[in-house]
Order: sequence, then structure tokens, then C-alpha cells
Amino acid sequence: MKLEMGYIHISDIEFSSESKIENGKLYVSTDALKALVLEDEKLKDVSFDIARPGESVRITPVKDVIEPRVKVEGKGGVFPGIISKVDTVGSGKTYALKGMAVVTAGKIVGFQEGVIDMTGPGADYTPFSKLINLVMVCEPVDEIEPHEYEKAVRIAGFKAAAYIGELAKSLTPDETKVYETETIKEGMAKYPDLPRVAYVHMLQSQGLLHDTYVYGVDAKQILPTMLNPTECMDGAIVSGNCVSACDKNPTYVHQNNPVVHDLLEEHGKTINFVCHIVTNENVYLADKQRSSDWTAKLCKMLDLDGVIVSQEGFGNPDTDLIMNCKKIEAEGIKTVIITDEYAGRDGKSQSLADADAAADAVVTAGNANQVVVLPKLDKVIGTLDYITKIAGASENTLREDGSLEVEIQVITGATNEVGFTTLSAR
Amino acid sequence: MPDMVFGCRPFIVMEEVVRLEDYIIVTNNPLVRDREESRHAVEYHETGIREILEIIRNKVHVGQRLLTHPLSGSVKPGETPYKSVLMTRGKEPVDLMSVELIQSAIEACGKFSFKSEEYDERAMRDFRIIDWTLISSALESADSF
Repeated sequence: MKLEMGYIHISDIEFSSESKIENGKLYVSTDALKALVLEDEKLKDVSFDIARPGESVRITPVKDVIEPRVKVEGKGGVFPGIISKVDTVGSGKTYALKGMAVVTAGKIVGFQEGVIDMTGPGADYTPFSKLINLVMVCEPVDEIEPHEYEKAVRIAGFKAAAYIGELAKSLTPDETKVYETETIKEGMAKYPDLPRVAYVHMLQSQGLLHDTYVYGVDAKQILPTMLNPTECMDGAIVSGNCVSACDKNPTYVHQNNPVVHDLLEEHGKTINFVCHIVTNENVYLADKQRSSDWTAKLCKMLDLDGVIVSQEGFGNPDTDLIMNCKKIEAEGIKTVIITDEYAGRDGKSQSLADADAAADAVVTAGNANQVVVLPKLDKVIGTLDYITKIAGASENTLREDGSLEVEIQVITGATNEVGFTTLSAR
Repeated sequence: MPDMVFGCRPFIVMEEVVRLEDYIIVTNNPLVRDREESRHAVEYHETGIREILEIIRNKVHVGQRLLTHPLSGSVKPGETPYKSVLMTRGKEPVDLMSVELIQSAIEACGKFSFKSEEYDERAMRDFRIIDWTLISSALESADSF
């Protein structure tokens, strides 16, 4: 499968009477966008704001971050099964608006973090502080249930991103990149001497604010399955989860998954990237057994030599991670797992809720319990109502000068477990 | 470690039901009790998060097996006041995986600090709803056949 990605760099965003992209600048009609978002009768109002890198702005609680994209040639459309029909995507030509994102914010439950600081030490921990963010704060109708509100905000974000992406359809991209992988048989013939590698991508799938969707299907209900690596670039996987924001994958991360991109970069050079396998992280233990058995079975059937496994979350998913690792290794296939750690504020506690000797190659994205002081910023988009009370709160959380002492688990993407993060070790 | 057997469905050998597993929900979440007790066996305890995990651990120690993960949900044990799990009702030889899972959940409590007095009723209601949706996703799996 071959996908040509056209990248259009956005240098600024401005509200305007007409939506368009001109000379790299995005003009957005909030009236048009508002009318689109409020088509959903569950939403009463929506407000828009723009947050630029370096501004004294804190966005919270963040629900999702989405990169606007548009399908220019080829089958299907972006966000298949949700915004577009359910055609298989990942081939043809797609344009992405780089340097910006649509950020949805809204207080869906009465405890919720998810912080993007656009300046200061908090900004260093989130990759989304480097983007120009078009922020939507959606207000629900009265007496709405949290799951209805969550769904309305989730869909509103995709609609807005698709609307903005559509503005780029007739533009000429600033940069083009072609991604191509072969069928199983073609790949074997073409790269007979290269190790066969796949990516086992574990998706959050536990319940409200803990869900992920694959072609519109709730990932709780999937069996592990194979994707072409380019399918996620067209929005085949989208986020419905945001709590404990440090290690959850917003939709932006699925669209730009660095494991997929790095494996594609090495494809045909040092490895044969065979496929992208998605699996889930259900609460029910029999589901865990079934899914981990199936990932190992698929890896074996594909005659793989190596697998990279990434998890999403902490605790319950640690068990899936170790089950996947053990069972795949038991098939004689080498694994590298990617996780983050909850090692306590001093870093001395057990990092994962599960472990095994088979997990002897581990990449960590950092300790989510690490404490950081976020200075008071001039402007808040959203609300700070609950930020002082969750995710590492203590009596010292809200300090006299208005700064917040919190664990980095409140920061969107701080310890992202597919490596879409700014932390590294020296 | 013995082979682990999950699941709570009956399976049939030689046309006889040789094993019929039945489950209970053990919870300190009143919303789970109220919404589920007409459909499922619910054992409700009005107690804290650590205490409910310890009650579950004691059941594991006498041979009840966990059917759901006690660290379900991204709101950590020290950050939410509520937890519900599904367990087998009958007793079997002690299941080592259940022992490890519940022990690890209790240990995780120590890493997080929860201050219920800082939450208003809306937040507490939402904690109950989240815990209920987590256990509901498991019930859907458990009851799918």
C-alpha cells in the first residue's frame, strides 16, 4: 500500500469572516465552525480561542488534540467510520496541516486534568505546546450524562478538524513524503535478508473516558487485527480517552505515531516492516487472555523476528503488556516494550504493576509521578477547577503565588508511551 | 504457576456441564450496587478504596478468583474513592495471578494521595459513574454468551 502525505505548514491562525488558507495562514470563520459543531443537539454552545507557542496560556482540561487532514486522492476519507464512510484508508494522497492542531477542551467529569501550557516549564513537557492550537470549549445542554457529553465533544473535534482539513484540498503541499509497504509475499521476496518486524499497538479500551475507536468500532470489541502502517495516518484510529493525560494517545498521536513512522523510515533498510497490529486493554481478564493469545498467534503466523509493543496507560494495561510480551517471546520472537513508569515521587517504587523476565528490552517514557511546578499563567482556556485536586495533588499543590505543584501525569502527552514526548535521558 | 483459566461461562464436556462459574461484583460504589443488584449478585461494602481492595484480597486468599483487573481505569487507586471488581463466587485452589494482581493494586494505593474532602458532590458522582462504566464494560464481556 502506498500513501503520499502532503504537508502544508501553517504559520498562524486568525479568526475571520471566511474560512481559508492563504500563504500558510489559516483563517477560520467561527460562525461556520460553530454552526457545524452545534448541529449536535447535545451541545448548547462552543467557544473558540487560539493559543500560540510562547504565549502565557494554559489550556485545561484537554480532551483531544487532532491534526486537520484531508483525503485528496484514493479510497475513503479521513476518520473512516466516524466522519467519512468506512472505506479502507491508507492509500492515495492525503494532506496534513502541520504546525497546528484542533484542541477540544471541556469539563466532562468533575475531576479531570489534561494540561497544555504554552510557555514555561510545563510547555517543555508537552509536544503540543509547540503547535498553534485552535481550542474549542464545548458546553453541553443541561442535564446531560457524561458519556453523551464525551461523545459530543469527541465528534465535534473530528468535524472541526475535517472542516479545516478540507480547506487545504486544492493547495500545493510545502513538502511531500511517500510511504509504501508491500504485501506479505512481496515483502518476503523483496527483503529476504532483513528481519521481519511488526508493531503491536495496544489501545485503551476500558469504558467512559478510557476508549479508542478503530474505523468507528469501539476497541473493546475488536479482536487483534492487522493494519497497513499508513491507515492510521488517515485517522483509522481515534481517541476517546484523556484521563491521566500524560500517557494517553490523543488522536494527533495516532495520526503521527512515531513508532509507525520510524519503522517505515527503516523499512527496506534495516528491517522489513510487515504490519501494524492493533489490540486492546480490556478490564475483563478473559478478554486479556484472548487478545494476548491472538497477538502472539498473529505474530507467529506472520513469521516475525521482532516486535515492538507499546501500551497505553498504567495498571490494568501493564498486565496486557506483559502478557503480550511473554506470549510473543514464547513464540521465539524478540520483543521490545515501550511503557512509562509510576515509580512514586522519589522514583523508588515498583514502576509497573506487572513484570516478567521475558520483558528484557524496555523503553521508558519517564516517571509520571515526577513533580513539577507550573507557574501561574496569564490566561486559562477552559477551567482550573479541578487541576489542584487530582493527579499528585497535595496540600502544597496550589501555592501562594498561584503556581501549581503537580505530578507530570496531569500534562497531556508528558510520558506518552508511543514516544510522542519531549522527555529523554542523558 | 498453574495454567490460568479466565472466564465465567459454563463449558460442556461429554454433554455434561462440568463447571458452572458464577460471579459476584464486589464494590464500595453505591451506584454499582443500585444499578446492578437487580441483575447481578452484588456485595457492597461502605468503605474506602484500600479497605475494599483488602476485602477483595481476603477473598482471593480463600480461593475466589478475579475476573477483572483491580487496577482498571486511569484514575489510580489513590485518586479515586471507588473500586468494583468481578470475582468468581465459588472457591477454588488459590489463583496465583489473582494474588499478584490484587497485591499489586494494594501496593499502588501508596503511590497516590486521595483527598475526598476536596471533592464536591459532582466530582464524587462522576467517580462513581466512571467506576460503573469500567465494570459495565467487563459485565458486557462476561454476559456476552
